[in-house]
Amino acid sequence: MPETVQVLRDGQTRAYVLAEEREDGSLLLAPQPVPSAQDKLLAEDGRAAAVVHADVVGILHVRDLTVAYGPKTAVDGVSFEIRRGEIFGLLGPNGAGKTSTLSAIEGLVKPRSGTILLDGIDSRRHPNQARARMGVQLQATSFQAELKITQIVRLYAGLYGVELSEQQIGDRLREIGLEGESNKPFKQLSGGQQQRLSLLIAVVHDPALLLLDEPTAGLDPQSRRQLWGRIESIRQGGGSILLTTHSMEEAQAVCDRVAIIDNGALLTVETPHDLIEKHKNDPRVSAVAHGAVTLEDVFIGLTGSEIRD
Amino acid sequence: MTSYRTLAPSPTTVTGPPLRLVFGSLLRADFLVFLKHRRALITSMLLPLFVLVSTSGNKSTQKFGGAEFVIGLAIAYGLLSTSLIGYALTVARDREKGVFQRLRVTPAPTWTIMTSRLALQALANLLLAIVTVIIGSMIHHISPSAGQYALVLLVSILAGAVFLSLGQALVGLVKSADSVQAGARVLFAVLILLGLLGQSGALGPFWSSVARWSPVGAVMTLFAGVLDLHSWYSRDTLSVLACLGYVVVFAGIGIRWFQWDAR
Repeated sequence: MPETVQVLRDGQTRAYVLAEEREDGSLLLAPQPVPSAQDKLLAEDGRAAAVVHADVVGILHVRDLTVAYGPKTAVDGVSFEIRRGEIFGLLGPNGAGKTSTLSAIEGLVKPRSGTILLDGIDSRRHPNQARARMGVQLQATSFQAELKITQIVRLYAGLYGVELSEQQIGDRLREIGLEGESNKPFKQLSGGQQQRLSLLIAVVHDPALLLLDEPTAGLDPQSRRQLWGRIESIRQGGGSILLTTHSMEEAQAVCDRVAIIDNGALLTVETPHDLIEKHKNDPRVSAVAHGAVTLEDVFIGLTGSEIRD
Repeated sequence: MTSYRTLAPSPTTVTGPPLRLVFGSLLRADFLVFLKHRRALITSMLLPLFVLVSTSGNKSTQKFGGAEFVIGLAIAYGLLSTSLIGYALTVARDREKGVFQRLRVTPAPTWTIMTSRLALQALANLLLAIVTVIIGSMIHHISPSAGQYALVLLVSILAGAVFLSLGQALVGLVKSADSVQAGARVLFAVLILLGLLGQSGALGPFWSSVARWSPVGAVMTLFAGVLDLHSWYSRDTLSVLACLGYVVVFAGIGIRWFQWDAR
């Protein structure tokens, strides 16, 4: 393999191949050929491999994403980026395009156009490699009804390439307070317990990016606070998180930045504080505010007051 | 002169988790589900047993073309029951509950998810066929050789594939679990009646011919053929081709139009 060097120029690091080392000590560098995303690459064991674009800084880059179901466009040219170690909230009314955006990132729906780079991997071209780096908690999670909790954890750990012993599974269940429920089927757990187990499974492989679709929907305040704590501890462990929520309180308490999406289009991306500051004098926001402007006032001001189905 | 630091090659490549571990995990989980459903497998034996017992008289047996045909009919009905109603309905219900969506957001290739399920269903089909042949041989006083048992297993795999592909086509074309259940029952009843009435000649020569080349008829002919190898002739060979044709067509439809999400 040729020796490669990285050169910092104009604030950007570029990779070069060492083509020739001259007698006077100078180096002749040639641009390193970058494998195309279309190339069919094979790993040493013969399995399909994906190119990692190592020059990508953020954990998730979504560019011009368009998702359509037949004639209906659910997501229309959405672009955003999530930084490493960031908790990013995607807010929007019902039917705004939040879940469709998440589904496209997860590979559950095929976008009509756009680019999704997850940790440097083109997820449209290499969905399985991209999925190996993401953890997912769907809006409505369902596991095989016949399986016990320990069996579910072992199954999903295996699907992510993690082999867990009985002891390790027991330890992980203990961490989330489910050690006494290990022989129960999923449906016998309470809503909060189900949510904790779903989150445990979503992070069983220490993903680079965690996707949470309305993670606190239907939870009591205690369970919700507990989940926020877990989300924060995942971030402190180096993880990045993309979550959708209807709760402005949650977005304000947990998210570093939030994006508001409506009718499939991204309206704004800011920190919760900046979002309030930027829009507090907007007449649409002032019209719905009662006292000090909150994130919910900004949200309703920007997306309208009418009820969506 | 600028000095440069030598670094690891960039960009790099990554792979998903090992296929052995992914497929092994799916198979183990599906096997556990299979064990939980063992009562359903035992229940699905009731129909073949009913066919074997209700045709045990000499006259009845001859009316259906002999003991080998009766055993073939019993296995075909059993496989039809487990594959068409059992498999298709389980897949439709899991799809409706979102089980497949949860599996699909993992790095497991989609073919491993479906292949694991089909492998366990094939195992159920084999068990059903073996038990039916053993009981059928005792009731109808025939003694298949070890080679014939081996052939029965081979034909069971093919027959199971026919009915599984039929179930796959149904669950591929119909989204709702309730509609799949209704469709499976109607199809099941039509194929059973076609087999019973058509094969017995009660509906006349045209329907007899239709019944013979229907999925149930072709499978029955094959089972009868391997249980009585002396009378194997071109019609049995054509039945093999018919079965293969059904598998290709139905599986093609079921895979091409299968949707992982019930919404």
